[in-house]
Amino acid sequence: MRPLLIATALVGSLSLHAQAETADGAALIGQDWAKIAEMAKGGEVNFFHWGGSDTINRYIVENIGGRLQAEYGITLNSVPVADAAEVVALIAAEKQVGNVDAGTVDLIWINGENFKAMKAEGLAFCGYVETLPANALVDWTDASIAHDFGVPVEGCEVPWNRAQFAFAHDSATLAEPPQDIAALLDWIKANPGQFTYPAPPDFTGSVFVRHVFYHAAGGPAALMGPFDQAKYDAAAAKTWAILNEIEPFLWRQGKTYPTTVAQLNDLFANGEVALTFNYDAAQFGQAVDAGIYPDTVRSYGLADGTIGNTNYTLIPFNSPNKAAAMVAQDVLLSWEAQLAKADPAVWGAATVLSMDQAGAELAAQFQALPQHPSVVSPNELAELALPELQADWIAAIERGWIAEVGQK
Amino acid sequence: MRTAPPLWALLPALLVLAGLSGGGLALALGRVGWADWAAVLPDGRVWAALGFSLWIALASSLLAAVLGLALAMLLRQSFRGRRVVGGMVAASLTLPHAVVAVGMLFLLSQSGWLSRLAFALGLTDAPADFPALTHDGWGLGIILHYAWKEAPFVALVLLAALRGRIVEQEQAARSLGAGAWGAFRHVTLPALAPALLGASVITFGFALGAYEVPLILGTHDPQALPVLAWQAFADADLTRQPQAVAMALLLTGAAAALLLPLLFWLARGTP
Repeated sequence: MRPLLIATALVGSLSLHAQAETADGAALIGQDWAKIAEMAKGGEVNFFHWGGSDTINRYIVENIGGRLQAEYGITLNSVPVADAAEVVALIAAEKQVGNVDAGTVDLIWINGENFKAMKAEGLAFCGYVETLPANALVDWTDASIAHDFGVPVEGCEVPWNRAQFAFAHDSATLAEPPQDIAALLDWIKANPGQFTYPAPPDFTGSVFVRHVFYHAAGGPAALMGPFDQAKYDAAAAKTWAILNEIEPFLWRQGKTYPTTVAQLNDLFANGEVALTFNYDAAQFGQAVDAGIYPDTVRSYGLADGTIGNTNYTLIPFNSPNKAAAMVAQDVLLSWEAQLAKADPAVWGAATVLSMDQAGAELAAQFQALPQHPSVVSPNELAELALPELQADWIAAIERGWIAEVGQK
Repeated sequence: MRTAPPLWALLPALLVLAGLSGGGLALALGRVGWADWAAVLPDGRVWAALGFSLWIALASSLLAAVLGLALAMLLRQSFRGRRVVGGMVAASLTLPHAVVAVGMLFLLSQSGWLSRLAFALGLTDAPADFPALTHDGWGLGIILHYAWKEAPFVALVLLAALRGRIVEQEQAARSLGAGAWGAFRHVTLPALAPALLGASVITFGFALGAYEVPLILGTHDPQALPVLAWQAFADADLTRQPQAVAMALLLTGAAAALLLPLLFWLARGTP
């Protein structure tokens, strides 16, 4: 896949691109939107996105592509890929051969490590985000939007979807589950054997440990940005003390931890533990529908927030169709598209728009979407969202847990 | 009279063996630098994992040998339903390990069938009262899995060896006054020893390199070395990939050091 992409890029860079008129991004920033839409007319947007889901592909091609064609005369070319890292490598190769205004990629679905790499290597078109009309409904003071896995976004990408961690309990056996990390720690000690979490490096177990890490650090604000050994040491010592203190009160006295979130879910389904959690609350509804969980299961977020991550779309520095790509981003971010995408029948992805900024009328439409009784409303959850950390923090916490909690 | 096959007939098999095993080994050695060994060898977790893998392999191959021997002795008798039992033994060989491991979870875990049975009989009050047979520090679930899965294999190898001359020797011993136990102890068992040892070497080597069963039935600490190696291989930090290869080489070295002398001894001892 990758060699083919790179070969395409090299050939593309040799031929002279005719429609390179909106490659100059600087000229677009702060422009009147009507003028940008005019420049975008007839443009083509090569949208490289993860292609592993038929539902998502259909939404992109029919809903977004259809609207771009009808309203703006823009053609959206959906290019499904297995991994955004391939696309990052392609754009980096284009930069190396001096292709600065005729790149293959106009838009890419991205977050985390791949965004970090693109931003650090100067491969992203930045600074234009405020020009998009739909940006008015984005709350950039929300740290989980303004930071992409701890990397400041700084106008280099436009938010698209959210995923957020949620807990679940069976309301028939546990009517009032603990509502924040401090209460959870007390609850664990008062209810021996009723709680556990998957041992890191399991992805979900690692996210749970980060919640305790934030609690010990007094919130995530101080942990944003690059890895800081001194800050890590201070918060880590407290975190391991807390986790070792609750260990005797965990399932099997903490001598054993589940190794996967699937195992934790089984323990919950069999009534061995009273709480479970997942990065995707929709999973709880699916488990109820499959008959694995009783239909009295409910999910919820924490009063001190749960960790969420946002995924984004980004325009590469060398896209020859920046005006059309900006229009595509604006459509992706528009409340109509975000509302359609939030419907479980279409996709079921949580919106990145702020319900406060959207106003009561729009918020009511999001509220009115069909909802599974076992799945906490993504909007309710998003009101208290905590940002993710940069990858080196996550790796350090996982290694620390294994050495200081898992093996002791 | 058997004649040795000509050397050229062995060539395809040798090429595949040398190409796949030797090539893989050479590639692996090429990927691991001194820095990777320096990161892996002082790591206590790696040695604990190697010890755990060796323990699983030893305990399960011994248990499988005893159970397999008993099964073979049973199956060589004629009794009603022998064909059914024999069919079940053969059928269990075809089940994939991951499927059996999940089945073990349903059977042995603290919310499994046995635990539910104990609860129904009033022996336990809660899942936690049932002994921890899966996800436990001794790897009991893993060992029971391999014993159950490999005993039929051992039995089939032994049944194949229990034909021909060995039957005449047993009959001779019995006619000369040996009891059933005496004939077994002094005639059958020594004659079966090479086959039993050979089958056990295979089950030991198999359990030593196992990944999926410890993953499904194992605990977070200690972990089997293949599980630890895979975690390092799948780490977001790509510099850990060569460390995973170093762990795999360590396991290969341990297996070779333990099993090659046994295999040579077996090869020399066979007429």
